[in-house]
Amino acid sequence: MNKLLVTTTVAAALTLATGAALAAATVGQPAPAFTASDTSGKTVSLADFKGKHVVLEWVNPGCPYVVKHYGSANMQGTQKEATAKGVVWLTVNSTATEHGDYKAPAALAQWMQSQKAAPTATLMDADGKVGRAYGARTTPHMYIVNPSGVLVYAGGIDNKPSSNPADVATATNHVKVALNEALAGKPVTQASTRPYGCSVKYATGA
Amino acid sequence: MHAFSPFTAVLCAALCAAPWLAQAAPAAVVSTPQVRAELVAHAPEGVTAGKPLWLGLKIEHAPHWHTYWKNPGDSGLPTTLQWTLPAGFAAADIEWPTPGRLPLGPLMNFGYEGTLLLPVVITVPAGFAGAMLDVKLRADWLVCKDVCIPEGGDFDLQVPAQAATAGHSALFASARAAMPQPAPDARATATVEGQHLVVRVAGLPAAWQGKTLGFLPETPGVIQNAAVPQTQWIDGSWTARVPLDPQRSESPTAMPAVLTSEGQTAGLQVQVAVTTAWPAAAAAPAALPSLGDAQVLTPPPVSLGLALALVFALAGGLLLNLMPCVFPVLSLKVLSFASKADQRRDLLAGGLAYTAGVVLSFVALAALLLALRAGGEQLGWGFQLQSPAVVATLAALFTLIGLNLAGVFEFGSVLPSSWAAARARHPMVDSFLTGVLAVAVASPCTAPFMGASLGAAVALPTAQALAVFAALGLGMALPYLAASAWPALARLLPRPGVWMAHFKTLMAFPMFATVVWLVWVLGVQVGVDGVAALLGLLVALAFAAWALGSPTLGPRARGGFSAVAVLLMVAALVWAVPTLRHDAVAQGVGGSSNVSEDAWQPWSAERVAQAQAAGQTVFVDFTAAWCVSCQFNKRTTLATAEVKAAFESQRVLLLRADWTRRDAAISAELSRLGRSGVPVYAVYAPGAAGPQLLSEILSVSEVLEALRGPGAPN
Repeated sequence: MNKLLVTTTVAAALTLATGAALAAATVGQPAPAFTASDTSGKTVSLADFKGKHVVLEWVNPGCPYVVKHYGSANMQGTQKEATAKGVVWLTVNSTATEHGDYKAPAALAQWMQSQKAAPTATLMDADGKVGRAYGARTTPHMYIVNPSGVLVYAGGIDNKPSSNPADVATATNHVKVALNEALAGKPVTQASTRPYGCSVKYATGA
Repeated sequence: MHAFSPFTAVLCAALCAAPWLAQAAPAAVVSTPQVRAELVAHAPEGVTAGKPLWLGLKIEHAPHWHTYWKNPGDSGLPTTLQWTLPAGFAAADIEWPTPGRLPLGPLMNFGYEGTLLLPVVITVPAGFAGAMLDVKLRADWLVCKDVCIPEGGDFDLQVPAQAATAGHSALFASARAAMPQPAPDARATATVEGQHLVVRVAGLPAAWQGKTLGFLPETPGVIQNAAVPQTQWIDGSWTARVPLDPQRSESPTAMPAVLTSEGQTAGLQVQVAVTTAWPAAAAAPAALPSLGDAQVLTPPPVSLGLALALVFALAGGLLLNLMPCVFPVLSLKVLSFASKADQRRDLLAGGLAYTAGVVLSFVALAALLLALRAGGEQLGWGFQLQSPAVVATLAALFTLIGLNLAGVFEFGSVLPSSWAAARARHPMVDSFLTGVLAVAVASPCTAPFMGASLGAAVALPTAQALAVFAALGLGMALPYLAASAWPALARLLPRPGVWMAHFKTLMAFPMFATVVWLVWVLGVQVGVDGVAALLGLLVALAFAAWALGSPTLGPRARGGFSAVAVLLMVAALVWAVPTLRHDAVAQGVGGSSNVSEDAWQPWSAERVAQAQAAGQTVFVDFTAAWCVSCQFNKRTTLATAEVKAAFESQRVLLLRADWTRRDAAISAELSRLGRSGVPVYAVYAPGAAGPQLLSEILSVSEVLEALRGPGAPN
């Protein structure tokens, strides 16, 4: 039976090696696990929400494109619609501490509150670990993880890449569409779209 | 608003006669703390039909601020220009100057710093007789440093029709010089190889040869912008392995791109043709679909993990033991254990050697397939049966095994005695080779019954794909291994006796049945001449086996018959080999026999697109003669009156893609659907974003439901 063991071990090792090589999140593959602190200092892990759909939203209050979607209440509306259906919504801020746009946890929480935002939690990712694992490039940049932990959507909030809040009314909200499909157990028709917005303000050189 | 500088006035007075108004009008300039943007014109011969007229937006960036190229890279947005011109005038697209790479932490943008001109060619209508051309422009740009600010402005400009406007000729000239230059001799192609786009460009100008080049695709959302591609020059052609964006949103067949080289202001414009199909975005299935049902209609297969894929492969391997090709060989081998139940160690060693033989053969076969695919071959699992030579060889092998089981000849008499002695001396090697043989005899069964599932495995990352095949082999070897490890299991089998001889003869018949099937497959591939040639070859082979190996022949008779047998074999081979060559076959012999019947027509991507455009639903049956589940579905579900009636009443266009022989177009379409094996059933509803894929074991209700599905006509 040694042979059996050896073969199984080799197969498992091969799997692990492949997993490590794929750094950025890929649609159709397991979403990268992460643990981060929310604005109140509480630890939040993706693994806590196994069995639920999870939406990840990259945010930076200093970015005009984020302001477009909060100013028009589009983002909050999408958050409320999702969480009302039992979806977990995690807003992530990967802005580095040395950047002018950086907001300390309390300030970020206050900004979110002032916007009447309704995520399940707002996560601090100043070292950019979560953002880099997901390959988050813009604010906003949106992801959906399904209940078995597979990334089923990556891309923009909608299909009108502009900073004009008036475009929200006529745009197709990719996240709403994808989420409804995923909740209905259907494959997501547009699983990868182009995100648009400001660049995520990662710490440089890291 | 921008002040009218005395310097500009002097310059204008000196250079251009009257049109200082054109540049100085405050409405032509929008200033922000980050940029000064100005609408400018270049009309050296006035505004007249047939004479050059350029308009452009000049953007002067404050230090470290930038705006973006048409492909902005990881973030940012390209500048947009919306023109309002008098009737008859037409503005072309922006002629983007060669952009720079603007790294930002782990991200990469493509854009411009310093002074930029975005020029646009304007066509003047014949008979334009106005004194002034009134131009209005709405421009929007995103300007970023470490923060981003969306800005825009409305611009007004009047260009005199009868006088020259050339105040910005130097600016227009330098923009033209920075524009990517055409490279008329360059031929650029790209292939998708796993997680890379391999771009090959031949015929670049001499000044570019051997240089380190940069690759800037105009199509966003395809490559990892920040990654540095591996590049090399081979025989004057440039090759770059460009990592693909794991979250790729576009799948272009043509990618216009700009090549850059240090020391060259202007890049080179190339048109990259992507010659291989893109793997279905997001459809990289993380797991095998199960052997039977369960496909896209139910929750997506991507939720299955690799672990589950391995379990399915293991179970599939176990099932292989029951296939008509494998069962006779292995059952006899296991039965022989009963007589050796006391030699446990030898048995176990033999079992392990056998397992190694099976697993390594499967992995080798899979590695061969992956290597061929990486080399650009359009192949899927089942590729081994797409070659008539392999089908003929397998038919010969099965005939020999069948004859042996039927008692016509014995291997012992045929093989040289030294070989037999070697087998006896090295039982481990013998067991290993039995494993290899088992995979060889199983291979015609893995393709027909598991083609689609294993095809999906091929699409996994290499290491995972090989692990799945190793698991398949392990599953196949397990019963034998178990019987060798616990001879008690073997003892559960009936006691050896005369019945074993009968059983052995009985097992010859499934072998011959397999031969019938292989001959039929060959018939579909190369036609009736090939079948006759193969059958002739099999008769010669049977005669040779009898002459050389029959235990009842005397030595003299054997000598005589053997000589005849050798001559017969040579004659049969001379006859058969040319007819089995792939190219020697007239097109359509096999395809048409499969396709022309009833309402089905041959598949082509164009036909699907045409029908979809015309609002017609299309049902595509991806099939092959050697695929047993395909044939099963074709003769059952697809042949039922209910399904036929539904097809007819909804005017569904029925297309059959026959993959019996190699076909690059079908392979490409399969991989676009995320598959690399058959059967695949796809329903294209008009207006739907993509096809709906049905399960491999097709049911009537499933077909009817798919036709009723959303987007399909009622």
